[in-house]
Amino acid sequence: MSGIFPLVVIAAGLFFWLRSRKRAKRTEEFAAELGAGLLPPERQNTDRAYPDPEAEAVLAALSRGEWQPAAQALAAAGTDWERRSYLVGVVARQAAEDDTWLRAWQATRPDDPDAAVVHADAKVALAWRIRGSGWAKDTTTEQAAGFHRVLREAREDFARAVSLAQPGDPTPYLLQIPLYKGLSAPHEALHQLWAEVTARAPYHYEAHWHALQYWSAKWCGSAELARNFAAQAAATAPRGSLLTMFPLVSWYEHNDDEAPREAYGWPEMMALTDAALADVAAARPDHPRVAEVRHLLAYCLTKQDRHEAALGHFRLVDGYVGALPWHYYSDPAEIYCHVRDSALKGAAARADG
Amino acid sequence: MGASPRAVRAFVLLAGFYLVALCVLGVLAGAVAAAWVWAPHLAAIKVTVISALLGLPVLRGVFTLGTGAGDREEALPVTEADQPELWYTVRSLADRSGTRAPDEILLTGEVNAAVSEDARLLGMLPGRRRLYLGVPLLTGLTEPQLHSVIAHELGHYGNADTRLAGITRRGRDCVIRTVAAFQEQERKRIGKERSRQEEAAARRLRKGRKAKRVDTRGAGFGYRMMAKPFQAYARFYLRATSSVGRQQELAADRMAVRVAGRDATASALREIAALDTAHDFYQSRYALLGVEAGLLPPRGEVFGGLRHLLADPRRRSGLAELRYELPPGEESPYDSHPPVAERVRLIEALPDDGLAAAPARPALTLLRDAQRVLAQLEDVLLTSEALAMERVDWPELTHRGMHALAVAAAEPLRTALATAGVAPGSASGDLIALLDRADAGQLWLTAGHLPKSPEAAQATGRAAREFLRPALESGTRRLAELALVEKAGAYWELSWSEQARLRLPGAAYAGGTEETVAAAVRAAVADVPDTAPLRTLLGH
Repeated sequence: MSGIFPLVVIAAGLFFWLRSRKRAKRTEEFAAELGAGLLPPERQNTDRAYPDPEAEAVLAALSRGEWQPAAQALAAAGTDWERRSYLVGVVARQAAEDDTWLRAWQATRPDDPDAAVVHADAKVALAWRIRGSGWAKDTTTEQAAGFHRVLREAREDFARAVSLAQPGDPTPYLLQIPLYKGLSAPHEALHQLWAEVTARAPYHYEAHWHALQYWSAKWCGSAELARNFAAQAAATAPRGSLLTMFPLVSWYEHNDDEAPREAYGWPEMMALTDAALADVAAARPDHPRVAEVRHLLAYCLTKQDRHEAALGHFRLVDGYVGALPWHYYSDPAEIYCHVRDSALKGAAARADG
Repeated sequence: MGASPRAVRAFVLLAGFYLVALCVLGVLAGAVAAAWVWAPHLAAIKVTVISALLGLPVLRGVFTLGTGAGDREEALPVTEADQPELWYTVRSLADRSGTRAPDEILLTGEVNAAVSEDARLLGMLPGRRRLYLGVPLLTGLTEPQLHSVIAHELGHYGNADTRLAGITRRGRDCVIRTVAAFQEQERKRIGKERSRQEEAAARRLRKGRKAKRVDTRGAGFGYRMMAKPFQAYARFYLRATSSVGRQQELAADRMAVRVAGRDATASALREIAALDTAHDFYQSRYALLGVEAGLLPPRGEVFGGLRHLLADPRRRSGLAELRYELPPGEESPYDSHPPVAERVRLIEALPDDGLAAAPARPALTLLRDAQRVLAQLEDVLLTSEALAMERVDWPELTHRGMHALAVAAAEPLRTALATAGVAPGSASGDLIALLDRADAGQLWLTAGHLPKSPEAAQATGRAAREFLRPALESGTRRLAELALVEKAGAYWELSWSEQARLRLPGAAYAGGTEETVAAAVRAAVADVPDTAPLRTLLGH
C-alpha cells in the first residue's frame, strides 16, 4: 500500500509538468500571434525614432550633393520650431561627415539663415564625432583638444547664425546648449542663454532635452539640479508639449544602472509614467518627438509589468529604434527587441489566464 | 621642553630600527652557520656570498661604515683657501646658531641648500658635516636671505634644541639612507639584468629567432625582500616622528629668524619657491635649448645664466606673483617640512625685529671669482658628452637651438610629403610643393600620410581632417619658418623677457613676423585653402 504513494507523486508531477509545458507552448504561440507584424532586430532602423519620409528624401538628396531639398524642407517647416530644430539636426549631422554641399549652399546663398544654423550645428556634431561618446576619462588628450577647438569655432558660427536668424527663431539659441555643455560654461551663462530660448519658445522639447543634459551630473550639474529642472518643466508646461517626459529621462539617466527592477513600480514612478501617458495622448500627432516619448514609455511600462499598455506603444514605433533608452546600448535593436518581446510574453501570459 | 617626551619616544623607536637590523643580520648569520654545518661546501659558499651581499647595505646604512661614494651627491667642493668670505660667513653663522661648523662646503646646481652629517651608530656619534649650497640660490637670493637659509639648515643640528632632538634628526637621516641604499642596489641590479636580457634578445634577433620580452621582475628580488622590513619600519618610524620633525623645522625657522632676521627669513622662503620655478624654466628654455643641436652657452653660463633671466624687468614681475602665491604643500610621509605657506605665515606673524629687508648685495658676491667657480661647477656636474658640446654665445645659441627644434618639428610633415611622392629638397622647396598640392585640392591627401593615433586613423570625413589639422598646421608653420630662414634671412631672436621669436630683418617688432606666418599658414590649410598669403611672404 505504501508503495503506491511515490507513484502518485510522480504521476501528479508529470501531470503538472506537462500542463505547464503545454501552457508555455500555448503562451508562446499566443505571443507569436500577438507579435505578428513586429520586426526582428535586423530590420529595425537605428538612426531614427520614427519613419520620416521627408527627412529620408532630404538625406538621400544630400548624399548626392544636392542641398536644395534640405533648404526647401527647412523653409516648409517655417515657424514650427520643433520641426525646424529637428530638421536642422538631421541635416547638420550629415554635414558633420562631409560638408561639400553645404559650402555650395552657402556660396549660392551667402546670408541664408538656414545654411548658417546648419553650419554652426554641424560643427557641434563634428566636435562630438572627434570626442567620441565615452566618459571623459576614456577620452584621449588629442580627442579632448580637438573637441574643444571645434566647439570654440562653433561659438563664432552660432554668433553669425543668430545675427542672420528671424528674431523669433529659438533654433540658433537652443542648439548652442550642447556647446555650453561641452565647454563647461558656468551656470550663469546657461541661464542667460536659456532666457533667450524660453523668450522665443517656452516649451520647446529639444531645448529642454539639451538643457537637461547640461544640468545632469555627468555634465555640468548634479542629480538634484537635473531633477528640479525636469520637475519644474513638467509642472509648468501645457499638456501636449511632452515635457512630462523629462522627469522620467532624468530618473533614467541618474538611477537606472543601480536601481532595483521594482523601482519602476514605485508610486512616484507610476505617477510620472501616467502623466507622460496623458501628455502623449494630448500631443499633436505630427509632433516630431512623440515617438521618442513612446519609446521611453514602452520601456517604463514593461518594467512596471503593464505589458498590454507597453505593447500598444511598441506597435506604434516598431521598426525605428533611434531613441532613449536603446541608443545607450551597443546594440540598440537587440535590446529593444529583447524588452519588447518580454512585454509580448507578459501580455500573452495574461491573456491566456 | 614640551617636545622631550616625544623625542624620547622617537629615540626608543630608533633603537627599534637598530633591533630590526640586528635581527636581519642575525638571520643571515644563522643561515650561513646552518649552511656550513649541514649543506655541502659549494652550497655553503654560495649562501655565504649571498648573505654577505644582502647584509652589506644593512651594515652600510645602519652603521654608516664608510659612506660609499655612490650616495654622495655630485657637487663641487670649495676650500677655505679658495673662498675665505664664504667660509667665514658659514663659520660665523654656525657660531651664532650654537652648532659646529661644517667640515666641507660643496656647491650644487639645484635650488636647494642642505647640511648632511655622516653620523654613526644611528646618529649617536657625530660624523663629518657637509654643507651643500645650490648655485641658483646664490644667484637668486640676497646675502641676508642666504644667511637665513644656511642658519635654518644648521639649526637642525643646533644645541639649542634638545640633544635627543638632534639625535632624532640624525636618526631620520640614517633611516632614509638605509632605505635609499636598498633601493639603489635594487635599481642597479634591475639595470644590470635589463641590459643582460636586452643583449640576449639582440643576440637572438641576430640569429633570426624571436626575441623574448625583457623581464626584470626576478632581478633585485633579494634586495627587495631585504628592504621590506626596513621600509615598513622606516615608514612607521617616520610617521611616528613626523610631529617631532615638524617641530624641528619650525624651531630651525626660529633659529634662522634669530640669526638672519624675520624679514630676510620670510622673504627667502618666498624667493626660493619662485626661484624653483624660474630655474626649471631657465634650464629648459635657455641653458639646455640647444642640447639637441649639440650646443651649450659659454662656459660658466650653464648655471650662471639664470641671473640674466632674474634681472629682466618683465620676468621679475612674473616672479613677484609666484612669490606672492605660495604653492600648497604636498603631504609625504618622508617629508618632515610643514608646507612653505604655513612656515611663512608663522614667521611673518612674529614681531618686527628691526632687521627689515634693507637693500642688500646679491649672495653671489660671497664667491670670489664667481665666473671661474661657475665654470668649475660645469666640469663637475655636466656629463662628458655635454662638456664636449660646442659653446656659443646666447644669441647664436637661441637661433641655432630654435632652428634645430623647428627642423625636428617639421620632420613628420616632410616625411608625409616624401611618402606622397615629393622628392625631398630644401625647406622652401618642400613648402612650395605642399602649397601646390593644396591648390590642386590634394592637401588632405598629403596630410593623410602624417602619423596618426588609433582614434585619428578610425575617423572619417571631416572628423579625420580635424584630427590631422593641428599636426598639419604646426608642421606647415615650422616649414614656413625654415623657408623664411633660407630665403629671407629670418632668425630667432633671443629675449630674456619672453620666448624666442622668429624675426624677419627689418620687421617692426619681434611678434609681427610670427603672427603674419601663423595667419598665412592658417589660410593655406583652411577647408578652402588660400595659398597666396604664404607665397607672397616667401617671395619677399
